[in-house]
Amino acid sequence: MVFTSFNFLVFFPAVLLVYFLLPQKFRWMFLLAASYYFYINIKPVYALLLAGVTLTTYIFTNLIVRTKSEKSKGIYLVLAIVLTLLPLFFFKYFNFVNEGIYGLLNLAGLRLPLPHISLLLPVGISFYTFMALGYTIDVYNEEVEAEKNIGIVALFLSFFPVVMSGPIERASNMFHQLKGKLQFSYEMVVSGLKLMLWGYFMKLALADRLSIYIDAVFKNADQHVGSSLLLATLMQPIRVYGDLGGYSLIAIGCAKVMGINVIPNFNRPFFATTMSEFWRRWHISLIKWLTDYVYTPLSFGFRKYGQWGIVIALNLTFIISGAWHGAALNFLVWGFIQGIALSLEMLTRKRKDAFEDRFKLSKRWWYIMLGCVFTYLLFAFSLSFGGDAATVPEVLKIFGRIFTDSFHMPYKDGDTMLYGFIAFSIVFLKDFMEEYYPGRILLFNNKNNTVRWLSYYTVIFLIFYLGIFSGEQFVYFQF
Amino acid sequence: MQKEEIVNRLTPVFRKVFADNSLVITEELSALDVENWDSLSHMLLISEVENEFAIKFKLKDLNKMANVGDMIAIISSKL
Repeated sequence: MVFTSFNFLVFFPAVLLVYFLLPQKFRWMFLLAASYYFYINIKPVYALLLAGVTLTTYIFTNLIVRTKSEKSKGIYLVLAIVLTLLPLFFFKYFNFVNEGIYGLLNLAGLRLPLPHISLLLPVGISFYTFMALGYTIDVYNEEVEAEKNIGIVALFLSFFPVVMSGPIERASNMFHQLKGKLQFSYEMVVSGLKLMLWGYFMKLALADRLSIYIDAVFKNADQHVGSSLLLATLMQPIRVYGDLGGYSLIAIGCAKVMGINVIPNFNRPFFATTMSEFWRRWHISLIKWLTDYVYTPLSFGFRKYGQWGIVIALNLTFIISGAWHGAALNFLVWGFIQGIALSLEMLTRKRKDAFEDRFKLSKRWWYIMLGCVFTYLLFAFSLSFGGDAATVPEVLKIFGRIFTDSFHMPYKDGDTMLYGFIAFSIVFLKDFMEEYYPGRILLFNNKNNTVRWLSYYTVIFLIFYLGIFSGEQFVYFQF
Repeated sequence: MQKEEIVNRLTPVFRKVFADNSLVITEELSALDVENWDSLSHMLLISEVENEFAIKFKLKDLNKMANVGDMIAIISSKL
């Protein structure tokens, strides 16, 4: 069931009604049942995987706390990590590894037919796998206690607002909420609904609108001039922001309506002036997860090499992040570009700070804008390697065309460009005001009733007027 | 080793890593208070502190350091 489907528009109010009518102590059980219903709705068999990962997590976290010996704790941790990752690896990398082996055998003159599995990646598997791993490692590090109630662990991993695409939650934030009083709070219901409304706008009016142009250009890249390719490349980050950012707001909003606070995922990313700041504002829950469970152990291991240890750890982390996004060379290139950019920023930071202090640049508007534009361009071009089905030579060819063939009028799709531009301007203005003039012009949170309701209705109207209702999937479902 | 002595030895390490010669170390000081104290410089700091006191931290220790006070406690437990 997708957030933008008609089914969800029936499902969610129905769940809410029963949820709040039930006595408090039964609410978490109902949420668990609703979450599994939601997940089974996608494909029943895949719910077994989710249940399997839940059981593995439950058993091993409890084994880790029960045993006294450090060595056994370590063995349980490794076993838990391997078993939890197994389904994800199987679905994500089986064909990739197989094709690799096939290619090698072919080179050696052997032609062995190897099985090719044509299974779709179970939706959400990356997300709940990461959540399960994080929880298990936290238990091992004695940061959270192992949960004795398997129902709570199951609800944590299947919680329907976040199960498909995050935000990647933490046990430390969720357990006490799920076990606590799941109360009706008028304020939370209202603020949750506002987040959802804005999320739908970002997804339907912005992301899905831009997708039309981007897909039209990239699916026939050969037939388009460089300027069209450039325009589509520049639209790509806004599209993903609308898509995953919008999805995240709907997810966070859903949870909030039910009285549960989920961690944020985006924080006005296009106002970052450096790549490292960008990564503190973009897909925050994934980056925090990678920082805690991949980057920190790696950089700790390499710490005796000083700055170079950090460079290695950064690059490895982003290459792993690339490999997670997709089992193909182009994703590794994407990770590598990010790793290099962040390393360069780190190595030059002291000099850059001194330079900025000397000429008092850090508060100048044009200097800030320059930083934002540069960061945006770097991200937009690196994202070309993160597209589905884009191979490295193809992307390089597109770059070549952008730099040599951009002196023509780009491909025109009047409606898409106009509506897309209107939607983008609205999202940009909102983010701009919140970034630089917080609290100055309030619409959704205005004290005046008329202004508030007028803004809700305007956004609803705009969703219907500018939005696309063809049941587009969310970009991050494929991960 | 007394807390004060640890603080005295930590001060130059912090000032060097964060390139700030006026930085004053208190037990409450945390990454939120110091510009440039992020996940990148944190590991440089950890490594320099290890060298200064000739100790080795464990990964688990790192997760328990919410502020300088926690760091001092862990350092003194290893001396």
